[in-house]
Amino acid sequence: MDDAAILRTEGLTKTYGKGSGKTVALDNVNLKITRGKLLAVYGPSGSGKTTLLFLLGGLDKPTSGRIYFEGVEVSNMSERRLSKLRRNSFGFVFQNYNLVDELTVLENVMLTMIFEGKPDAERKDRAKELLRRVGITGKERRRPSQLSAGEQQRVAVARSVANRPELVFMDEPTGNLDQENSQQLMRMVADMVQGEGATCVVATHNLEVVNEAPSKVFLKSGRIVSS
Amino acid sequence: MPAFSLVRFTSRGLGRRPVRTTLTIIGLAALILTYVSVQSLVSTLEINVSGSVSSLGGEIDVWSKGTSFPLFSRVPVSYVNTVQIIPGVDLAAPVALAQMTVDNNQAVIAGVVPSELPRMLTYTMVAGTMITSNQSGILAIGKALATTVGKSSGQTLLLDGHNYSIVGVYQTNAWIDYSLIIPHSVAQELIGWVNQTSMIVVTTKDPRTVDTVIGQIRTLLPTADAFRTSEAPSKISPIFASLEAIGTDITIIVSLSAVLGITNSNLNNLRERMRTFAIFKATGASSSQIIRLVLYESLLIGILGTLLGLGISYVVLNIISIPVAETINVAIILVPSTFIYATLLAISVSLTAAIYPALRISRVRPQEVFRFG
Repeated sequence: MDDAAILRTEGLTKTYGKGSGKTVALDNVNLKITRGKLLAVYGPSGSGKTTLLFLLGGLDKPTSGRIYFEGVEVSNMSERRLSKLRRNSFGFVFQNYNLVDELTVLENVMLTMIFEGKPDAERKDRAKELLRRVGITGKERRRPSQLSAGEQQRVAVARSVANRPELVFMDEPTGNLDQENSQQLMRMVADMVQGEGATCVVATHNLEVVNEAPSKVFLKSGRIVSS
Repeated sequence: MPAFSLVRFTSRGLGRRPVRTTLTIIGLAALILTYVSVQSLVSTLEINVSGSVSSLGGEIDVWSKGTSFPLFSRVPVSYVNTVQIIPGVDLAAPVALAQMTVDNNQAVIAGVVPSELPRMLTYTMVAGTMITSNQSGILAIGKALATTVGKSSGQTLLLDGHNYSIVGVYQTNAWIDYSLIIPHSVAQELIGWVNQTSMIVVTTKDPRTVDTVIGQIRTLLPTADAFRTSEAPSKISPIFASLEAIGTDITIIVSLSAVLGITNSNLNNLRERMRTFAIFKATGASSSQIIRLVLYESLLIGILGTLLGLGISYVVLNIISIPVAETINVAIILVPSTFIYATLLAISVSLTAAIYPALRISRVRPQEVFRFG
């Protein structure tokens, strides 16, 4: 086992549909993600970036191939163990933020900690601290829809690291943001992820993000073209 | 996941859909009102009618064969003499029962032989005296009926269009308090019976011989049925069994309709919130936590619907009275167990209606929702 690799895949393949309607989203992807670094996964639309992230994050099951997280195979894990992994070891940031509008900003950040069963005071303190770090102060009681796009994405970033995950997956985090907000967000992500000691995998179109990432993977038609 | 957080989530989710939530709560309240009303009506009838057939005194009742209620029974008066000579019989007293107009009310009158009354019935006089002769135009009235018609001892009232003097007001703390007592011969005249009566009340010299006496009555009087007085309510049990069966059928139909309606409402509700549950799942909620979340939500609706339903049922049934067999208006008897069962029913319906939607939503696949909405 490679100690530096927090996550690795072997022949990861994902297909949708059957027969003539079959679509290969990922084709025999072999990948190693180094602990503590930011990995940028880039490529054109439909290249399989989001599919790869969902598979790595345990949100989807591969058609074939294997995924190992810290040496343990996750691709055949039960749903119960996967949910624990998503709760404790993984964090997610989505292009559309995916904040729950029924909940306040503070509650959104507390969400994973609530599912983990952490005490109310602890999760409140942690959520407030994270919101302060992403620059959302005084808006804790607001609904996500009352925030700007940039603010919503910062709340999503705060939520993703709330349970101190080892891996944070970001799917086009700057996709809905202008250049200034994108830069701000990525600086903040770098600080947060580094500060929390997490490894980050970002699927993006944004070449600035790609250029600043210490390691990168280019996907095309579901295959790794360069890394 | 702490229950308190779940309840907070739940109440927030419900509050965002006030119309659907309110309609579901009202639906459950209607279910409770239906259940409590039907059960209370059956209980009220059962308690009052059972009481009426088992409070005429004596140890043995003799009714005409196949009769399920003493008001419908008719036996020849000559049977009294037949029974009286059976060894071991102490008293065989005819009782004529009929429903008649008392002032402007309907009541059951009991015609008895005055001299036999003290051996048949345990009563206390609230005012005046009990009837002691076969004189026409006099009667004794039960305390409850006296209160209903607003009459007391010494006054007159109209019985079947004729004036009768009230010689006394009695109290037995049983059904007969809603009735009045007149001499048996007068009752026969009023009803238009010749040599007939409703039933015969029998006492024995030795209670150990009751079964033997019953056997002899059955042998001697093949067109009559004799049984222990305590068994009288069971004679009308088929009527109540039917009523209870109807009540149960109504409850089942209404409950099934409620389950289907609320399941459909839950499915639509959860479908609208699919994204929320997908986010929960993506951020680490397990399937069981999502199931619990949905069940808590239903439980909360169930509790609110139950509280509303019980409140409405209590108010409505307290202001309703029904005419029972004695034809007096009786307030519906609210049996506490009915409210407990109603609560269990509403909560069960609410939870049952949440099981399928909860299982479905727990299998939500975040990647599909996030991609395809």
